[in-house]
Amino acid sequence: MTAARAKTGISGFDHLFSGAEDNTRVKTGIVELDEMLRGGFMPGDAVMLAGSAGTGKTTLALQYLVNGVKQGEPGIYVTFEELPDQIYRDAKNFGWDLHKMEGEDKFRVVCTSPNLMMESSGDNLLDDVFHDIQPRRLVIDSLSHLEMFVRKDDVRMEAYRVIRYLKTRGVSSLLLWESPQISGGSFSVTDVGLSFLVDCIVALKPVEIESALRKALVIVKMRGSDHDKSLREYEITSTGIKIESAFSNYEGIISGSPRKVASEKFMELFRGASEKRK
Amino acid sequence: MSGGEILSTLLASEVRGDLLILFHKNPGLIDTVDGIARRIGRTTISVISDVRELLQLGLLKQERIGASEVVFLDRAKDREILELVANHLKTVRIGGEN
Repeated sequence: MTAARAKTGISGFDHLFSGAEDNTRVKTGIVELDEMLRGGFMPGDAVMLAGSAGTGKTTLALQYLVNGVKQGEPGIYVTFEELPDQIYRDAKNFGWDLHKMEGEDKFRVVCTSPNLMMESSGDNLLDDVFHDIQPRRLVIDSLSHLEMFVRKDDVRMEAYRVIRYLKTRGVSSLLLWESPQISGGSFSVTDVGLSFLVDCIVALKPVEIESALRKALVIVKMRGSDHDKSLREYEITSTGIKIESAFSNYEGIISGSPRKVASEKFMELFRGASEKRK
Repeated sequence: MSGGEILSTLLASEVRGDLLILFHKNPGLIDTVDGIARRIGRTTISVISDVRELLQLGLLKQERIGASEVVFLDRAKDREILELVANHLKTVRIGGEN
C-alpha cells in the first residue's frame, strides 16, 4: 500500500486502519479553554455543553467547529431548531462565513427533526453528509429537543444511540443541552441521567454578582484526563467566546448565591479602615 | 428545459417561492413534506404539489429514512439550475421579451 492510504469514506472504518491510536487533543481553538482542558478534548469524546438560554452555547459550538475547519478538521452542525438560517447570520456577525466553508466542502449545517434522526434504522440521515465531507467534529443543537419527541424515560436510550453512532465514526462531538437546573440552586446538569453517557461536561452559567449579570464556565467532568476545576468568567465578544480569570474571590457561585470569600471580606474591611485613617 | 422555462416553473406559485427561499436559506434542511410545510407556515396539503414540481425539476431530492420520506436540496443540481436561470436573465431586456 502507498503512504497515502485509500479512504473508504466511512470515517470510523478509516480511523480503524489509520495506524497508531491518535491521542492528539482536539483543540477548541479557544486558548484559555484548551488550557483548562489540558490541551483540548480527548479525540472521539462525546462532550456535553450544558447551559441555560443566552449563555452562548451555540456561539461556543460554532467557534469549536470553525476553529476545527481552520485546523483542517471538517465539521457538521446538526440543528433541530425551526429557523436555522439565523445560524448563518449570527456566525457572520462573529466573522465566520459558513456558506464559504460549505462551498469548500469543509462544513455542513444539517437541519432536521430529531424524530427523523431517530427513525433512521439502516441508513442514517447523516450518512451522505459524512461521506461528502468526512467530518472530524460534529455539534448537535440540541439534545434537549429529543425530549419533545420521545417519552422522558426513553431520552437516555435515544441519546445513547446518537452518541454511539458518532463514536463509531470516530467523530468528536459536542452535544448541546438546555439546562435550566444549573441556573438555580442545584447543580444537576440533566434530570434524565445523560451525564453518565458523555465523556466530558462543560457547563455555562449566568451568575448575579453585585447586581450585574456575569457568566461562568466550569468543566464538570472529563473522563481520563486532568482538567481545571475552577469557575472561570467568560464573555461573548465580537469574535466569539473569550475566557477570563477565575472567580477566585467568590464562593457559592454554582449554588446561585455568590458571596465574597472570608479573606476577601477581611481585605475589604482592612482597606476601608486604612482609608478612614487617611 | 430552457432557462426561461425553469424560471417560469420556479415562480409559478407563491408556495414555490417560499420553498425556494427556505431551501436556499437552509441548504442543509432534511425534513418530511409535513415538516417543510410547518417551517413555511403552511399546511401539508397546500405544499405537496409544489414540492412534487421541484422534485420533478430535480432541485429537490427524496429519500426514505426509516418509515418517513424526506426531501432535501440537491446542491449540485441547484447550482446548475441557478446558472441556467442567470444566463437566461442576461438575455432578457428590461420591460420586454428576449
